[in-house]
Amino acid sequence: MCQFCVKHGAGKKWYLNARNYKADVLGSEEDMVNYLEEQWMNFETVFIRKIMGFSSKNLGYKMKMPIIGRLLRWKAENMIHSEKERRNAQRADGHFGQAIPLEDGIAILSELAEEPILCNYCMCRWMQRGEKEAVCLNFGALSGILEKMPRFMPKERTNPIDREEAIEILEKNNKKGYIASVWFQPVPYINAICSCESPECGGLTLRENFGLNAFYKAEYIIDLDQDKCQGCKQCVAMCQFNAIRYIPSMDRVIIDYDKCFGCGICRHACQHDALKLIPREEFPGFDGEY
Amino acid sequence: MGKTKIEIDYSLCGESGKVDPRDCAKCLKACDPAVFLMHETIGKEDEQENPYDPQDWRITPIWGSLCSRCLKCIEVCPENAITVEW
Repeated sequence: MCQFCVKHGAGKKWYLNARNYKADVLGSEEDMVNYLEEQWMNFETVFIRKIMGFSSKNLGYKMKMPIIGRLLRWKAENMIHSEKERRNAQRADGHFGQAIPLEDGIAILSELAEEPILCNYCMCRWMQRGEKEAVCLNFGALSGILEKMPRFMPKERTNPIDREEAIEILEKNNKKGYIASVWFQPVPYINAICSCESPECGGLTLRENFGLNAFYKAEYIIDLDQDKCQGCKQCVAMCQFNAIRYIPSMDRVIIDYDKCFGCGICRHACQHDALKLIPREEFPGFDGEY
Repeated sequence: MGKTKIEIDYSLCGESGKVDPRDCAKCLKACDPAVFLMHETIGKEDEQENPYDPQDWRITPIWGSLCSRCLKCIEVCPENAITVEW
């Protein structure tokens, strides 16, 4: 289990702890609602706001600068993981997520997620690709806020959806190749399951390109049964992390376990039952690598 | 690879240009590493009629270090508003 399970999981994985789904998890529900409203009203400006006088523009170059680069990284990590009482909502302090397999997503949506559940546009994909696709599932206090903001709401589905429909949407997106992810917003309040894509996802792009921990690898990792793999290469096309490669000489795929986020998407493509998710802590060498 | 400098002429595209990036967004789709970010402008809160539905948008080439210099953004921009230098 990761550090957030230890801190916020009450003995379980952090996202399976029912307490984290209550808007009053930190005391005042009103404060939580205010934070979320301010965060989402300013959602699209998060990357152009300044931290210590620097915006995220050309972050890659800025982080290579001596001293300033290290300071920026330190400050950004602090912001992302902030558990301070006064957090800056416009900068989305305390907002980060983790990949989850479809099974855990279904477990959350069938029981833990607080109603009302809304399905709204993925803002990351809109900001980075200009595509409006309703794939994000938001619940609890966040739903009440998003309902008021027309730019996030698909016209054909403005009303809350029931748990079965939410599960259906998640499953459809997962099989399509999107990575299911669960989000603290702000830590330890959980109110969203997204179906993410790299590099469009704001969290994934920070993690993949700049090594900032806005997105964590799952509590699981893939395990390939080398004898069962028939070399059909279908899974290679599914992986968004370049963790699977086909090797002609052995006529099978190889896994770069270091790159595997444990999202389990590749399993949907395997017809030979060769890919299984196992708990990360049971995989020697990758225990603790989130 | 050294620094790549990507610039957008906001007199041609964005809140004061004649193209609303929300209707175009061609550069966003053409850029494989997703360097561009479409966002609401800041600093004009008082003029905003409806804070729940902002009207002023622009595109910023935000992740410049990811640029692979393919120049596809220049090719697709209908206003020739983008310049890429290195």
